[in-house]
Amino acid sequence: MKYLGVDIGSSASKAVIVDNEGVVVARWLKHTGVGVATDVIETVLAETGTEASEIACTVATGYGRKLVPGADEEIAELSCHAKGARALVPKTRTIIDIGGQDAKAISLDGYGRIQSFAMNDKCAAGTGRFLEVMAHVLGVGTDALPDLAAASGTDIRISNTCTVFAESEVISQLAGGGSKADIAKGIHASVAERIAGLAKRVDIVPVVCMTGGSANNSALAACIGKELGAEIVVPEWPQMAGALGAALYARAIL
Amino acid sequence: MTDTVQQEAKRLAQLLIDVAADPKAALRAHLAGGRKVVGCFPVLTPDEVVHAAGMVPFGLWGGRKNAVESTKYLQAFCCSVMKANVENGMTGVYDGLTAVITTAYCDTLKCIEEVWKVAVPALPSIPFVCPQNRKDPAALDFLESAFARLAEALGAFGGRPVTEEALEKSIAVFGAYRAEARRFSLAAAQHPWTIPAAARHGVLKAAYFMRKEDYTEILAALNDALGQIPDEREGKTGVVLTGLMAEPNAFLELLPDYGFYVAADDLVHESLQFRADVPGPEAGGSAARRLAMRFVGVDGCSLLYDDEKRRGKRLIELCEAHGARAVIACMMKFCDPEEFDFPLYSKELAAAGIPLLPVEVEQNMAGAEGLRTRVQTFSEMLRFG
Repeated sequence: MKYLGVDIGSSASKAVIVDNEGVVVARWLKHTGVGVATDVIETVLAETGTEASEIACTVATGYGRKLVPGADEEIAELSCHAKGARALVPKTRTIIDIGGQDAKAISLDGYGRIQSFAMNDKCAAGTGRFLEVMAHVLGVGTDALPDLAAASGTDIRISNTCTVFAESEVISQLAGGGSKADIAKGIHASVAERIAGLAKRVDIVPVVCMTGGSANNSALAACIGKELGAEIVVPEWPQMAGALGAALYARAIL
Repeated sequence: MTDTVQQEAKRLAQLLIDVAADPKAALRAHLAGGRKVVGCFPVLTPDEVVHAAGMVPFGLWGGRKNAVESTKYLQAFCCSVMKANVENGMTGVYDGLTAVITTAYCDTLKCIEEVWKVAVPALPSIPFVCPQNRKDPAALDFLESAFARLAEALGAFGGRPVTEEALEKSIAVFGAYRAEARRFSLAAAQHPWTIPAAARHGVLKAAYFMRKEDYTEILAALNDALGQIPDEREGKTGVVLTGLMAEPNAFLELLPDYGFYVAADDLVHESLQFRADVPGPEAGGSAARRLAMRFVGVDGCSLLYDDEKRRGKRLIELCEAHGARAVIACMMKFCDPEEFDFPLYSKELAAAGIPLLPVEVEQNMAGAEGLRTRVQTFSEMLRFG
């Protein structure tokens, strides 16, 4: 039998199918959030060539987890990211997950059980959305931000943590002749500071694993590592960690 | 038999929940009944003195009100409870009150008395200052004299002087209320199916808006009914709530979804109001002095200076005494005193092996999905751990 994990986030939907041994047999990703939730299982099965009868159990997670009809259970994304990260990087003790609309830090014990967690609450600073807004102002896609930052000689500091005010600040910097590369580097440093502040609310114990789509931004991972004074391990397919955890829970639950 | 009793318990609880849900209707009913009503700011006011002056003390603890007019006086980072109070005053919600008693327990409250005079000039305010160094012997003398000043002012507003005899009678009325509220807190914990977290909150909140005699009568009947219903805690996880207040209801409604019930609370808005009694005559001194003794004796509150920082110890004791497995800290957005206490008690709870979930709350928060993720993760942490 196979087990399906579906992670409906605010900006992307992900799915992972594992077999009886917990080995990933299919991955699915769509850059649309809760809008796909209602028929996500059918879509995933069709697009991964899987028969519905092959799936023994489905677990939904992410912000849209309650909107997935046909899921056998819904589990919060922090639990799923913990399980998924631990499967991807077995000695993980600390997880930093930067999602589209929130950021999370999770502390695990030696057995992979959640000991404590922290989430951003007052604003969107330090989230994937912040990076999207800043990339838009710079006139590039979020994928281009790491290379842009790498070309910088010196960073231009972004002092505002509020996304809206920071956007104004970046526009002012551009109007003042600041280079896009330097500003991009400053943006990464700003997000890293916010994330480090959040992460320090839980115990930071190596190995520190970064999950979520923003983990693909190598410049950001490096900045966060520098802020925390710890090496950041980014697994392959970091944005799939939640869906993988959900699939592994589906396998464990049944 | 149990079904009938349970229905009666739910009916009685709903009477109180309805009052808590519509304080304006309660105020209108008082005014229609010819009663004078005095608004009482958080966190503790000598409500017995208001009662002894023949008026109804009416709790002013904010509400789901967006700050529009009040932004002239209170910055965006002030606590929303105070912003809502000033907004309510400025927009006529409190029209009909005879006066308000303002307090000075935190930095925001300290400026309210002066703000009020300018922002709501038509509604008289009576300042009440509770000394922070309450363990100093002078605190009792100060409070006794403060209550005397309040009694004089309230007597003038009520048209009836506050006599020693009247104050003794009021202390007895409030003593009966506090005893039933404590009994309810225990009974509600044993019956999370009949009285889930939001209902528990509504029942306790109604005390702020009703004549204490009427409230106590209904609460006693509710307690009697709950006493006949078998224990409903099986399979559920008890938590202790701490913080200023546990609102909005959207947050409390999440708790049963994930198998939690409120085993006990340490909330300023709830149990702090009734956990300590005014000592009896055997303690010596006038009624006002014994009233002062109650204020001096309240500990473990972020807004009352505690040189021994007993809140963490108190939370651990509450968990042990009530079989609670964890603590949920309801952190009112921008409440500095609560933020100051958090590092201390979170460390003590961690050392005691008691899981703690901090959640940021605000009365008028639009949605609770972010809170749902936190509460659900916490339940899974306890379940899978």
